[in-house]
Amino acid sequence: MLDNFLVRKDSLMNFTEDGRVAGFKFAVRNANYRGVFLSLHNGYYIKMDNVVYPREVQEFEVNGQPPRDFEEIKTAVYEHWDYDDEGIVYVYKPGGLTPGKHVMEFQQSVLAAYGYMPTDEIWVKEPPVPGSGAGSDKTVSIVTYELELGEGGF
Amino acid sequence: MAKIRRGVSFYSYQQTQFFKQLNLEGQIREVSENLDGADGIEILDEQSLRQYPHPPDDFIERWHQWMERYQVKPVTMDVFMDVLQFRDHVMSYHECAERLMGDIRLAKRLGFKNVRTLAVVPIEILVEALPVAEELDVRLGKEIHNPIPLHGKYVQEIVEHVDRSGTKHLGIVPDMGIFQYQPSDSKLEWMIRHGASRKATEILTQTCLDIRAGVGPLAGVDMSLVTAGNIEVSFHRFLKTGECDPYFKTAFDAIVKITKASISTPTVMDYDVIFQSILFSRTRPEDMGKLMPYIISIHGKFYHTTEIPGLPGEYEDCSIDYEGPISYLKQAGYEGYINSEYEGQRFYQDLPFEQLADEVDQVRKHQKMLKRLIDA
Repeated sequence: MLDNFLVRKDSLMNFTEDGRVAGFKFAVRNANYRGVFLSLHNGYYIKMDNVVYPREVQEFEVNGQPPRDFEEIKTAVYEHWDYDDEGIVYVYKPGGLTPGKHVMEFQQSVLAAYGYMPTDEIWVKEPPVPGSGAGSDKTVSIVTYELELGEGGF
Repeated sequence: MAKIRRGVSFYSYQQTQFFKQLNLEGQIREVSENLDGADGIEILDEQSLRQYPHPPDDFIERWHQWMERYQVKPVTMDVFMDVLQFRDHVMSYHECAERLMGDIRLAKRLGFKNVRTLAVVPIEILVEALPVAEELDVRLGKEIHNPIPLHGKYVQEIVEHVDRSGTKHLGIVPDMGIFQYQPSDSKLEWMIRHGASRKATEILTQTCLDIRAGVGPLAGVDMSLVTAGNIEVSFHRFLKTGECDPYFKTAFDAIVKITKASISTPTVMDYDVIFQSILFSRTRPEDMGKLMPYIISIHGKFYHTTEIPGLPGEYEDCSIDYEGPISYLKQAGYEGYINSEYEGQRFYQDLPFEQLADEVDQVRKHQKMLKRLIDA
């Protein structure tokens, strides 16, 4: 669906933790025509400049809460990610990115579905790995974005 | 004389909303001011409402003020069922019914007369939630969506329950996509941009016409127990692994055979293209008239409205039969709503922003078409 418009083009920035640049972040929307319970949000396939950053080094900020990792997001079973709202994806990469152009391959994983599916039980035990194609719901393919990081990295 | 009413499902404005070109109030105003007598509002709860499932009281108040100010009616609220919500287990029927009962209560607060559930919701869940619907006088309608036909099991079990129990609060929401008989031109062009050969799209159109005429290996195949999203996932699994539910085997084998017979080295995309031919319900227009007493509301699904050659200012969707079903609905005295549900925007979303579909314009044209057919 709106695969090419999910990442806000001017949103790429580095972020700091304890005074040090700890990684980069960017703003995303939900790849659907509706919002979902936040718990269904299962992370991202992110390949930035040919390096893959798995779900384990990602966090997600939404609804005015501090960034949460995807194990914690999983427990947000009554919280809703509204269709209109941007969330911020944080990717841990000590030192962050250098200013200038970056190429990112990207796929969002949200376990929204039309009712019961044959994969339900398997995904409870072992959620699909983002980028594998499974669990990508409305973003069928991995999409490539060219993003620019401003001078100074922020 | 009984008259079919017109409204809009805000599904139609999903992209306009995404880019913040029209907010919820703007969408309501559009229906009120630019659609020549349409007054029905249909929303998807998780699309239109902030802080679902508990929108704040001041929003509810504002919503009712909009209905008053713009002289429109809340007709149907569409609800969802994500069975992995709790992530540590698959939701039971009882848990799904609890979510549905909450949605019915929410619909009541917003003044909706109907709640539409997904086509795939098991009837046991509807039956468990039904007492709440009856108590609040909200009707529950199960969507009947391509490729499910009106004469299949899913409709039959609803009809039987209604006849047996005498309930006035359960029925169906047919989606006009069940009268689609060939893919829209916009979808074919989308497929070609995604690597499909023009040849494959031509075979697809021919296969669709063969099925409509009752000839070829797919003529007798029954896909009446599945929903489009699910069968697509199954077909992709079949292409990768050769495995599928026995229910799909004949159809999937036939798709592979037809594809190989006409294209020497078919790509996955070629298979995908020809696969689309089994996603049509083959519903007979007369079934719409027969089932009229069970119809809660109707989704006016459409993909692309174009001007009718020789009739300036009049429009049609060349992939879906509207004329047949509407004539039977009129004969049967249907007085409910047909709500425009535009789904063609997704076939342009691979293009640059400037070339995206104009949802507002498409809905206006579709409403002109509905008005023409209803008034005829």
